Order: sequence, then C-alpha cells, then structure tokens
Amino acid sequence: MQAKSKSGGKRLNKRTLVASALILLVIPATIVFGIFVLNDRKYYLISLLIIVYTMLPFFMVFEKRKPQAREIVVISVLAALAVAGRVAFFMLPQFKPVVALVIIAGVCFGGEAGFLVGAVSGFVSNFFFGQGPWTPWQMFCFGIIGFLAGVLVQKGWLSRNRVPLSIFGALATLLIYGGIINLGSLFMTTPHFTWQGLLAFYVSAFPMDLVHVASTFAVLLLLSKPMMEKLERIKIKYGLIEPEPEQAL
Amino acid sequence: MRDAFSRCHPVVNFTYFTAVLLFSMFFMHPVFLGISLAASMVYAIWLNGGRAIRFQFLYMLPMLLLVALINPAFNHEGMTILVYVNDNPITLESIVYGVASAVMFVSVVIWFSCYNAVMTSDKFIYLFGRVIPALSLILSMVLRFVPKFKAQARVISNAQKCIGRDVSNGNLWTRARNGVKILSILVTWALENAIETADSMRSRGYGLKGRTSFSHYRFGQRDKLLLTTLGLLIFCVLAGALLQENSIQYFPYIKINAATARSVLVYTAYFLLCMLPVGLNIWEEWTWRRLYSKL
Repeated sequence: MQAKSKSGGKRLNKRTLVASALILLVIPATIVFGIFVLNDRKYYLISLLIIVYTMLPFFMVFEKRKPQAREIVVISVLAALAVAGRVAFFMLPQFKPVVALVIIAGVCFGGEAGFLVGAVSGFVSNFFFGQGPWTPWQMFCFGIIGFLAGVLVQKGWLSRNRVPLSIFGALATLLIYGGIINLGSLFMTTPHFTWQGLLAFYVSAFPMDLVHVASTFAVLLLLSKPMMEKLERIKIKYGLIEPEPEQAL
Repeated sequence: MRDAFSRCHPVVNFTYFTAVLLFSMFFMHPVFLGISLAASMVYAIWLNGGRAIRFQFLYMLPMLLLVALINPAFNHEGMTILVYVNDNPITLESIVYGVASAVMFVSVVIWFSCYNAVMTSDKFIYLFGRVIPALSLILSMVLRFVPKFKAQARVISNAQKCIGRDVSNGNLWTRARNGVKILSILVTWALENAIETADSMRSRGYGLKGRTSFSHYRFGQRDKLLLTTLGLLIFCVLAGALLQENSIQYFPYIKINAATARSVLVYTAYFLLCMLPVGLNIWEEWTWRRLYSKL
C-alpha cells in the first residue's frame, strides 16, 4: 500500500501511455484490418478487439506493480460479494446487486479497484452461469462502471451521498450496461449495423434492463451508506488507508 | 462418459478451444458452419450426455429459430425479393444469412458448453498463473469465496428468518430491505475474514520466489503429438482461409466459390480439427477394447 501511493503519479502515466498507444495505433489498425479483410463479421471482431484493448492496460498495470496480499484479498472479497450477493435476493427474480457493489467498490477504493472488481465479477459469475461470447462485454461494462464511479468521486464530480450515488447507479446501468450489452448482442447475431435493429434490441431488452436499473437503485439506496462505513472502518483498522485521496480531494 | 481430451495438458485444451471458437465465430461459409455445428453437438453429447441433448432441444433450437427470424425482419438488403411486409421487402439473401448466423451463434454457445466442461477453473489458473500471477490469484480466491459466501448467506438468512426478517415474506420493498440486511451482515463477516486470510498468506510467504502451483500437469508424449496435430490442422485451415476457400458473399446476392479438390482438403482439415477430441476418445476406447480382448 505504501509503495503504491508513492508511485501513484507514475502509475497513472504508464497506464495513460499504454492506453494512448492502444487507442492511437492498435485500434485504428484493427478497424482498417477489419474493413478490408473481413466482410460480414467485421462489426463483431472489431468491437470485441476494442473491448479487449480497453481492458488490457488495467490488467497490465495491476500485474506490474506487484500488489500486496491485503489488496488482492480485498478485491477478491468485493468481487465474490458481487457474485454471491444474488443469493441474498433469491426470492426476487432478476434482482442483481452486481452493479451496485461494483460502484461501492469504486467509490471506496478508487477507479482501478472498481474496474478490477467489476471485470473479475463479470468473468467469475460466468463460471457459474456459463461462459459465452457475451463474457468480454459484461466484464467491460461492469469494469468501466466501477472505474467511472471511482474517478468521478475522486475528482469530486460525484458525491458520496446515497441519493446521488443511486441516481448515478441507475443511469450507469441503463446507459452503460444496457447500452453496450445490447449493442454487443446485435453484433453477435446480425451482420450489418442498422438503427432499426439496434432499436429492436433495446426495446425487447427494456423490461429486463428496467428491473436491473431498479435493483441497482434500491441496493445503492439501502446499502451504500452502511457498506461504505464498513469499508472505511476496515481501511482505518488495518491501515489500508492511503494519504493520496485526501490530497486529491 | 469418460473424456480422454479432458485429461490432456491444459495447453492442448486451451489451444483447441481458442482455435475452434474463433473459427466458428468468423467462418460464415455453409460447409464450415455445418461442420462446426455437428462437431460441437457430438462433443457436447459425449461430454454431458442426456443433459446436452435436452439443452440443445430446449434452449438451442428456439434460439436458432429466433436468431434466424431477427435478421430478415431488420435486414432488407439482397436482390431476390420474396414478399413485401408493411412495405418492407423480405429477401431470400437475408433469410439465408439469418439461418447462417443463427447456426453460427448456436454452435458458438454449444462450443462454450464444451469449454465449460473441459477447461475447469484450475486449468485456467494453471495456464495463466505465470503470465498474470496477481490476477489469477484473485480469480482462484473469488472462485473459492463465492460458494463460501453463498453458504454463509444461507446461514445468516436462516438466523434472520427466526426474527421474522426473511426475504420470503412481506411485499417487494420489505423483501429487498431484508435482502440488503442479509448482504450487509455478510459483508462485515467477509471483510474481517479476508484480512485474516491476507495476514496468514503473508506470514506463509506469499510473493516469495520458488512457489509451486497446486495442480500439476505433465506435458507428455501424447500432448506433444496432439499439439503438433492441432498446429498442422490450424495451419491448413488458416491457409485455406487466406486462399478464400471459406469466403462467401451474402449481399447483394449470394456468391460462393465452387468446391475444388483444394477446398475439399481444407474442409477435411477443419472437420478433423473440430472432431479431434471425439476422435481421441474413440481411439482410446478402441485401444482399450483391443488390449482387453488380448487378455
């Protein structure tokens, strides 16, 4: 934890470097390759590769800085809670607390931890519900929501109070999760991008998305305050606290 | 049924599934689609037996029909117009493409069901433990924590039931509140537990050099042979793809290369690649029977 906070500035730079190399060089190359070499599957391949490229820098940076045992365990616990949390709501069908828990993780432990918790819980929950072509899309959506929550709170653009967080959670679930997952299913099944096709996917998935939005909103409203208190307590009790966030705030 | 392929080295398993999944996702040529679908169904039935047959009929068949119908409903490209529905042309090309993409999608899903049966999580972690040590440790811990937390959630839920706060009573809002209560108790328990795990890991030398992995797989003669065969077959299929053997144009009209001797060769290579695990199983069975009858 100590080493992490010291190399904080450098870490961000390295990630920015890798990310910008990927965005400026590899993604355009992929798009050009896809357009000229592939015909009917180009949308799916290009979108899948872009999603993988976006996730790579996070994983690489995390591996590079040799994280401590405590950090690894906290991330694993949060991801496992996001997956196992469904059991607590087994009487309510389609009630998924994953997005809510990923947002709480991002708010308490920063964007990077939020991303990892999201991506790992997306990956692991599919070990229980079945891996498929949708796995990278889910990993990306959960991860990016956690990352956004962490970054927005650290920058001071999002309050840690439960009402703004719940509204953020509902919007993120509807726009980021619903938006990207439905786009992914369109690319998986059809060759050509059409607006009507996309609209059909959005409309047919809307009831499910709405349940997802409602569950995220309800869990954040009820759970964000007590859970954040618990995480803060653990941070103070076991010295997981970093001096960095106070300066950034 | 016993699966011989599952007992091969994880590198062989992973190479096979990566190749088969990618080829199935991106080859839209009818011959390749048919081979992939048939092979995935045979292997899934070999691995999962009656469960696979039920899965294929109950879930995959309706999904096939659904995906096949989505395409002509929203895609009006193509030259051969069959009928007009609400001023929208339904074309032969989009129906054919719909069927092709449905077969592609369903075969990918069935391949993934085989992947789930063969590539267990400890094989995955064995393979990636050296490349991404921290992440694969996270993965293995999460995979352990999930059943543990689920069991604990049930314990908490039973205790809450005694004081009338179970998720199974009350209206929707009360149920959600009680669910959150259970989750909140679970979080407290899990976090305390986790820090103790971490301290215990540190005192046992986590992160030091020379640590070994829990599962041990040996890369034997058979794995060498299988990996070479896989490499050769993948090379043949990729060479065929570069020579346009697998290319097909669906829009604006269907254009397909005539099958030559060379394309038959590529089809055979793809068939052998997809059927490799089933072939291995049959060969093992046959060897066993032969040895048995000699006794």
